Amino acid sequence: MKIAISVQKATFDTEAEQRRLTAGRLDIGAVVSFTGRVRDTNERPGVTALTLEHFPGMTENSLHEIALEAGERWTLQAVTIIHRVGCLQPGDAIVLVMTASPHRRAAFEACDFIMDYLKTRAPFWKKEHTDSGSYWVSERQSDHEAADRWELS
Amino acid sequence: MTLTHLNARGEAHMVDVADKQETRREARARGAVRMQASTLALLADGDLPKGDVLATARIAGIQAAKRTHELIPLCHALALSKVSLEFTLDTEENCVHVEAFCRLNGRTGVEMEALTAVSVACLTLYDMCKAVDRGMIIDGVRLEQKRGGRSGEWSRQAASETSPAATGEKDAISPAKTLKVQFLAELRERFETAEYTLAWEQLPSADIAGVKLALIERDGKFKALLGQRVLCARNEAMSQDGTAISPGDEIAFFPPVTGG
Repeated sequence: MKIAISVQKATFDTEAEQRRLTAGRLDIGAVVSFTGRVRDTNERPGVTALTLEHFPGMTENSLHEIALEAGERWTLQAVTIIHRVGCLQPGDAIVLVMTASPHRRAAFEACDFIMDYLKTRAPFWKKEHTDSGSYWVSERQSDHEAADRWELS
Repeated sequence: MTLTHLNARGEAHMVDVADKQETRREARARGAVRMQASTLALLADGDLPKGDVLATARIAGIQAAKRTHELIPLCHALALSKVSLEFTLDTEENCVHVEAFCRLNGRTGVEMEALTAVSVACLTLYDMCKAVDRGMIIDGVRLEQKRGGRSGEWSRQAASETSPAATGEKDAISPAKTLKVQFLAELRERFETAEYTLAWEQLPSADIAGVKLALIERDGKFKALLGQRVLCARNEAMSQDGTAISPGDEIAFFPPVTGG
């Protein structure tokens, strides 16, 4: 399985990433990609900017581990995870997860799984800025419940 | 300066140490195995075909230290009192750092034992991982520190900085006896502290719970670390209160993650 992980300030080009993921591969039958974007309304309305902090070193490791775990659970040919850090504006793309497999089901489920684990395990923290002040975003119970769906009994 | 393993005629000989005073001898050596990022990831996950790589390399290093005299011709057989090996996975440099520490009360130094332990641990790492990565490089095998005996204390750091350091009478090698503690995101802002260095002696216990108590002892504001929603990493791996720690470890405390 080909794994590409990047934690970067710059934006990403989904089409270019898909070309890179599938380059020279005629056995890939399905590519699923998820793009997360910064919303202007989250814990409070009127979000003007978002600062994303991470833990260099551990972040890349944990994303790599999540991709490897997805590869153990589904038949995947390639995984790309790109997460942006630094200062972002509403409407900016923040995260890209792309999975490739011979058939669609594995690609869909693995992409969903990677996002659920990324949101609850990878060391990223969001600080939202609004006209009424800045605050660190709280964890969400719904994210933990989503990740718990994948627990192996 | 003379070579002690050559006699007056320039022939190899074993140094007679019968009349030397027994002193406490310690040595610390390091090395690294450089590999591909994917190999390191497999190693971290325990997914390599030969199984638990680090546990095997640790035993190999300890066994090798005990048999150094069988490998190095003019080396004495030593009754080592302690041999320990530490492995650190480095994802920035894509390598595994190997550190060996040897100690005994005796008449000859233990640097050959520490260097042998590192070398054989590195070779074992290579053997355990070679199925997936033949291009690995064993690199930078070197003595870091030694103390005890007639030549006293030597450390690479002191040797490279100035003249050799004055020999103290401390009973253990002092550098690396600290812990770096980082605070991230909301915790950093709440404590107004990004980084804190704790001396190893300040810990009531050698685990994460001990780090928290030592920090609270220094400053009451760190009581917030006892809250349920404080996460912790030791050397970049998620850890719990009971996770054991070693000198030189890097500990980080942070709030629940909110990426994606």
